[in-house]
Amino acid sequence: MTRERELDRELLPTATGRRTAAAVGELLRPRRLLAAGAFTVLVAATAVGLLTAPLLGHIVDVVARGGSDFTVPVLALVGVALVRGAANAWGLSLVSRLGESMLATLRERFVERALALPLERVERAGAGDLTSRVTNDVAMIARSVREALPELGRSVLTIVLTLGGLALLDWRFLLAALLAAPIQLYTVRWYVRRAIPLYASQRVKDGAQQQQLLDTVGGARTVRAFRLTERHVGRVRRRSQDVVDITMRATRLVTRFFSRLNLAEFVGLSAVLIAGFVLVGNGSATIGTATAAALYFHSLFNPVNAALALVDDAQSAAASLARLIGVADLPGEQEPRHSGTPVDASVKAASLGHAYVADHPVLSDVDLTVEAGERVALVGASGAGKTTLAKLIAGIHLPTAGSIALGGVELGELGPAAIRRTVALISQEVHVFAGALADDLRLARPEATDEQLREALAAVGALPWAEALPDGLSTVVGEGAHRLTVTQAQQLALARLVLADPPIAILDEATAEAGSTGARVLERAADQALRGRTGLVVAHRLTQAAAADRIVVLDAGRIVETGTHDELVAAGGRYAALWEAWSDTRQQPG
Amino acid sequence: MPTGRSVLRDAIAGQRGLLAGASALGSAHQGGEALIPVIIGVVIDQAVSAGSLGSLVRWLVVLGVVFAALSFSYRFAARAAERAAEQAAHRLRLAVSERVLDPRGGAEAGRLPGALVNIATGDAKRVGAVNSVLPFAVAGLVGLLISAVLLLRISVPLGLLVLLGTPPMLVLAHLIGRPLERRSGVEQERAAHASGVAADLVSGLRVLKGIGAEAAAVARYRRTSRDSLAATLRAARAHAGHDGAILALTGIFIAVVALVGANLAASGDITIGQLVAAVGLAQFLLTPFQIFAWVGGQLAQARASATRIASVLAAPHAVLGGDGSPAEDGPGALRLRAVTHGPLTGLDLDVAPGELLGVVTIDPAVATHLLACLGRETDPESGSVELDGRPFAELDPTALRGAVLVAAHDADLFEGSLLDNVVTSGRDPERALAAAAADEVAETLPQGVHTMVAERGRSLSGGQRQRVALARALAADPPVLVVHDPTTAVDAVTEARIAGELREIRQGRTTVLVTTSPALLAVTDRVVVLDGGTVSAEGTHAELVHADEDYRTAVLS
Repeated sequence: MTRERELDRELLPTATGRRTAAAVGELLRPRRLLAAGAFTVLVAATAVGLLTAPLLGHIVDVVARGGSDFTVPVLALVGVALVRGAANAWGLSLVSRLGESMLATLRERFVERALALPLERVERAGAGDLTSRVTNDVAMIARSVREALPELGRSVLTIVLTLGGLALLDWRFLLAALLAAPIQLYTVRWYVRRAIPLYASQRVKDGAQQQQLLDTVGGARTVRAFRLTERHVGRVRRRSQDVVDITMRATRLVTRFFSRLNLAEFVGLSAVLIAGFVLVGNGSATIGTATAAALYFHSLFNPVNAALALVDDAQSAAASLARLIGVADLPGEQEPRHSGTPVDASVKAASLGHAYVADHPVLSDVDLTVEAGERVALVGASGAGKTTLAKLIAGIHLPTAGSIALGGVELGELGPAAIRRTVALISQEVHVFAGALADDLRLARPEATDEQLREALAAVGALPWAEALPDGLSTVVGEGAHRLTVTQAQQLALARLVLADPPIAILDEATAEAGSTGARVLERAADQALRGRTGLVVAHRLTQAAAADRIVVLDAGRIVETGTHDELVAAGGRYAALWEAWSDTRQQPG
Repeated sequence: MPTGRSVLRDAIAGQRGLLAGASALGSAHQGGEALIPVIIGVVIDQAVSAGSLGSLVRWLVVLGVVFAALSFSYRFAARAAERAAEQAAHRLRLAVSERVLDPRGGAEAGRLPGALVNIATGDAKRVGAVNSVLPFAVAGLVGLLISAVLLLRISVPLGLLVLLGTPPMLVLAHLIGRPLERRSGVEQERAAHASGVAADLVSGLRVLKGIGAEAAAVARYRRTSRDSLAATLRAARAHAGHDGAILALTGIFIAVVALVGANLAASGDITIGQLVAAVGLAQFLLTPFQIFAWVGGQLAQARASATRIASVLAAPHAVLGGDGSPAEDGPGALRLRAVTHGPLTGLDLDVAPGELLGVVTIDPAVATHLLACLGRETDPESGSVELDGRPFAELDPTALRGAVLVAAHDADLFEGSLLDNVVTSGRDPERALAAAAADEVAETLPQGVHTMVAERGRSLSGGQRQRVALARALAADPPVLVVHDPTTAVDAVTEARIAGELREIRQGRTTVLVTTSPALLAVTDRVVVLDGGTVSAEGTHAELVHADEDYRTAVLS
């Protein structure tokens, strides 16, 4: 049951600013030579670029002197252009190598940690949390690394070197130019403070719109059947209008931001011109110097605006980074110091109890022993606690009371890795991994040969259709590729079970979604997949229960009956009533 | 019939007022930016050289006015352009949604829901975005004209050199860049693949954990991530090379202009000041041309997106729409005559008014095709389906669905409360909730029937979802209700109860149950078995169980 999910949502952690910076440092450290190289090359490229203006000035001087030989300065200009272009290209590719390889390491560490998280933790956060981090946040950082980082680097270098050039002309020009800085800093602070919450709510509205469209478009057939078109178009319109409104709010903020930066430009330029007026007036600077200072400052407009406009990209990237590092830093599952070894394939649960929410027990006082090789069916109405019991035994949730032992070893003593080697859980959830069918199967056993894959498929009756796929086992399946039917996807899950080959297997309502015809195919497949294992089957169809060695009936979280099919039918209890409701219609009326 | 061209044209034409305003203001901004260096020159000439405090103050005031003007014109140009973009995208989103939901259907054919959503969001946004770049193209053109006039006034040969030299230079840069860009496009796609693999693994987390496949999954992701890194780096190198080439070309072009200008100045054809201005304008000219290249790129993207949108809008309808309405609360008799469609070959079937009919299909595809015809998701290849003597084809699909409701096995629930989901018409859902045992579902939820259901009902289990969906179908209370496998994920006790309630609540109304569940078939008045494309057996459930071996295999195994 998935009910518990909406009660108490606890998002995965986000790293602090300090931790994020430290983590970036850790990523940077092994690449410091590359980083230094990239920085040096970009500085050189920018410095060479700044030679253009003096060279043009030199040409003017030659003309003013009445000369007519421009070969040297013009060739120098061509040389500058070539060197600048080459150095820029080199520097940029070094910067991307640095950023991209850091990002690759980070995302790999993230996925590794994310897959190692206890499922319980992921479910508490909602599956969307992890997915959005691995897609949106990684994409956000990648975009910053690809676009914002090089641009920011170039702009900052240009600004620093130009200000240096200004100081070389006369330190008082630099002082005048810096009058713009307080306005710029104030503007950035003003902007960031407003932009962060605004962009956060913009993302929320974008998400809501996307969700609504998925809901409406994905359910189009249902919308038409129930004539809900107007209701749904209305919802889409509202959500879409919300996006328009918030985007306009964001645009107004950005345009006000640039207006304030225009003010800074005006103040700085006026100050430099006034400084020129004063310095030329008292003879401490030439007119040429004053012109150069003003032109230098003018040429700063674009890089300054570019750098400041990237502040919010940088902010978003930092937020995404904190969300990735928050997960990458989570402790993995704790392996016990001394892992026990199961002696057989038995399952023993003693006075087991579980509650997702305090005081609302889903299971209480469950004592259950399954002998090695035995097949036990769990029977009960929806909400009786069958799925919870299955999850507890598979080690997915920790029970709030009681203990579970697999092969005589307590789960806690066994440790997560050994638990998963010992017991497999095939849940109601059907997922076909995107990629070749063979790759999907090899997740269960990476070293499996093609022959072994075929055997596993044959065991669950899936080989005929798998071989009939356009490219056989190499057919790309999953999201956006060849779509398997629900029955096929479930057969695939059972084939993975055969390949993973654990001594204990738990099947939970694996047949429910396949429709009645598919259900029978899957029952046969499940029977084959369980051969030679201790099996715990959450039986939905009673025929599946009747075929088990023993049946355990759950009601409201307690075991109310246990025994073989014949014993229970003879006992005339709850199972007998169930069986009657079922077989009433299935016995040939005589 | 919408085409990519017409979609794009309408998106632009629909916002022409805002676009005109944005273009005018954008041009003013561009002009203001061009004036700044001119004013700097004037200040140097008239104030700094001449040492005149009066002119300094005067020209600084002018500078302030120009700044104010360019700042405000940019501000409102950008807002108008963005509003035009957003509004156009909004309209397209609605148009795509409306087309998808059109009662005559057909837009989903051959497209996954995710792809359609991408068209409604990403493609609509890209088409709309044309409106945010067009005003800047106009402003760039204005800037280009102003500089051209200024340049030609300085010197005709120099002006012609700059004006005629710039486009070929940019074409050259484009040619250098094109193969690189093409390669980078392919490689970026490969890079995006890594992110897809990661999302896929994370969404299959439960499955991975269930079989202990985390380590294998991490190893696979690491390989994908490294491949993607290599591809990204190749793309980044290509990009950096392209940028560097453009930078070098621009520098060489400036050098050429400087060389020609310097010779003209040396021979006295132009003044030193004009030389400086010409070099400055040559640099300034690059901006409008770069804007054009950028706008060109955006337009190309928008055209591709507009084509995708048009293909949805122009998708052929799955069924023809009639305009007749079925009789209000008619008796509800269904009649199929010689219906041939997919695996159905010449099916004749009559459903009497008020009858509760069970339909058993040996091949699941038969059920799918039959339901598609009854729900008018499609029209049969041949033959006819009639409601109370009127062929479906004569009836308006929406009106028809009010009279004949097909509740699919995989019907979706929607975001909203459980009650919102069940109430699709004005009728009281109380009885329907009880009949489908959805009241029990509500009892186990934190806020009962007011509990919010996540998108597509994912916060409910399979069995809960089915019961709510059945309650919705029963609450709609149509004259003819067709239900497909409504209890496959429901436990046996509850299923038996639902079967009884179903018969009760549909008393006197025509109901067709397409299922192989014996619990449901047992309450029907009559059962028909469809095999080999047509009716192969017929009788009550009890008779068929007794007499028909194939039926027993199909239903009671």
